[in-house]
Amino acid sequence: MLEIQSARKVFYKGQADEKIALDGLNLSLKTGEFGVVIGSNGAGKSSMLNAISGSLVLDSGKVLINDDDVTPMPVHKRAARLARVFQDPMRGTAASMTVAENMLLAELRAKTRSLRPGLNAARLASYKERLAVLGLGLENRLNTKVELLSGGQRQSLSLIMAVGGSPELLLLDEHTAALDPRTADIVMQATIRTVEALKLTTLMVTHNMQHAVDFGDRVIMLDAGKMRLEIAGEEKANVTVTDLIGHFSVKTDRMLLAS
Amino acid sequence: MGFFETTLASFIALIPVTLAQSLILSFVVLGIMIPFRMLSFPDLTSEGAFPLGGCVCGVLLAAGASPLVAIAVALLAGFLAGCCTAFIHLRFRIHSLLAGILIMTMLYSVNLRIMGRSNLSVFGNPTVFDWVPGMQAGFPASKIVVAGLISLLVLALLYFFFKTEKGTAVRAVGSNPDMAEAQGINVWAATIGGIGLAGAFSAGSGALMVQSQGFADVNMGLGILINGLAALMIGEAITGKQTVLRQLAAPFVGAIVYYQLVSLCLAAGMPPPDLKLATGLFVLTMLALPSLKLSRGPAAAKETFRE
Repeated sequence: MLEIQSARKVFYKGQADEKIALDGLNLSLKTGEFGVVIGSNGAGKSSMLNAISGSLVLDSGKVLINDDDVTPMPVHKRAARLARVFQDPMRGTAASMTVAENMLLAELRAKTRSLRPGLNAARLASYKERLAVLGLGLENRLNTKVELLSGGQRQSLSLIMAVGGSPELLLLDEHTAALDPRTADIVMQATIRTVEALKLTTLMVTHNMQHAVDFGDRVIMLDAGKMRLEIAGEEKANVTVTDLIGHFSVKTDRMLLAS
Repeated sequence: MGFFETTLASFIALIPVTLAQSLILSFVVLGIMIPFRMLSFPDLTSEGAFPLGGCVCGVLLAAGASPLVAIAVALLAGFLAGCCTAFIHLRFRIHSLLAGILIMTMLYSVNLRIMGRSNLSVFGNPTVFDWVPGMQAGFPASKIVVAGLISLLVLALLYFFFKTEKGTAVRAVGSNPDMAEAQGINVWAATIGGIGLAGAFSAGSGALMVQSQGFADVNMGLGILINGLAALMIGEAITGKQTVLRQLAAPFVGAIVYYQLVSLCLAAGMPPPDLKLATGLFVLTMLALPSLKLSRGPAAAKETFRE
């Protein structure tokens, strides 16, 4: 489970352009729960994900994963417990390395890296099998450098890399936003299938209201660094895109277009 | 004899000496390749680490230390110099090139302090090149054998390392540090260790050079970086850099070809003082080529030498 306790982060503190990114944010996600985070630009969604993954150091507050306080841990230490898929397909993979090498790096995320040869026949076979699930032909391109793949293929690879080894927490940062609608759909379907199959505790940020309606157990809306709204259970099952958009204090064109 | 024959004769006569020299200098090219290519960390430390290794080795030889001990201490000194550059870059967010220039400049004073004067003769002291059985000490062939064997050993070890789990992680840091960190890799440790290793190779090259030429000089690294870059570019043009093995072989192949080319130019009558200008123009041309080709065909891939 994930717990964020009164997280606070202020950028440019004491300056004219002071910006409160997180304003005493509290959030908890039960083990196996799929939370969908929405909110207008600047609401603190990215800051929250960065605070969970460790790339943002909080001014105050705590982040707990399965009851362990990870607040003082740097990014690479937390990586043993959580996996993240970035919005930008370029960020989540090592471009100049092969598909198989990227899979290897992900496999070793929570392990101690040894001085034994990295890629071996058994590993290659398991990567082939795991990539075949996507149906994109990536299983036949294990020795292709990732820079030669399309954005959609790279993002699908990032997803498979992230869910491998069943991380305690999966963070999806608008991971289909940079993809064309058809590819976005493939990646989203693959996401839902794996998250359900592995019962992963997942937090997904999205600007796509249809995704927020269709997927997840709970919708969490952030505004000005705080939780503004939470929709779960029966209410979540019946919510519509129009309902969600109605809750935005600032309606942006982007949200309307995305839904 | 005409101009052509004279040139050829003096070039051929110099081939073994040049080969010995290029094998020794291939380690400094390796010490340039690792930061630039493996870690995407443009680094100039080698310009200071090379004479550092030379000075440390010279002083130890003069004090009667065994040549192997002298090389080992030189490697350690170079490793620390590399670590300092990487640490300055990571901790204070100073551009890696500037961090390298700072260390390189400070090392000049350090090197003078180590030797206590600007040059030191160690001629006649034992060297690692004396140990080849059946060969006269100081003869180019013994240097070719020793430096060649070390080159092969280093190449094999590095190739093996970059294929291991740890080595793959180090390459990921060079390819995409954000991704590497998110995959649980300690970017600081990999960068400091990698740049340190590169510094050790540069210093080791300096130490071998001192044992080969019989003296150490604080100015022995002058321009070594640009020579090394030129050698690396030639090597990459020959071996390519699609695979880890090709990328690792490039410094060795490049050093061998580059120094023979230099020797050919000198044999053809190019005045030695013009050498750095010629090398600089060559490196500049290689760097400029992608942007000159822009109008034709697809845009050139990001060139990590250009900043």
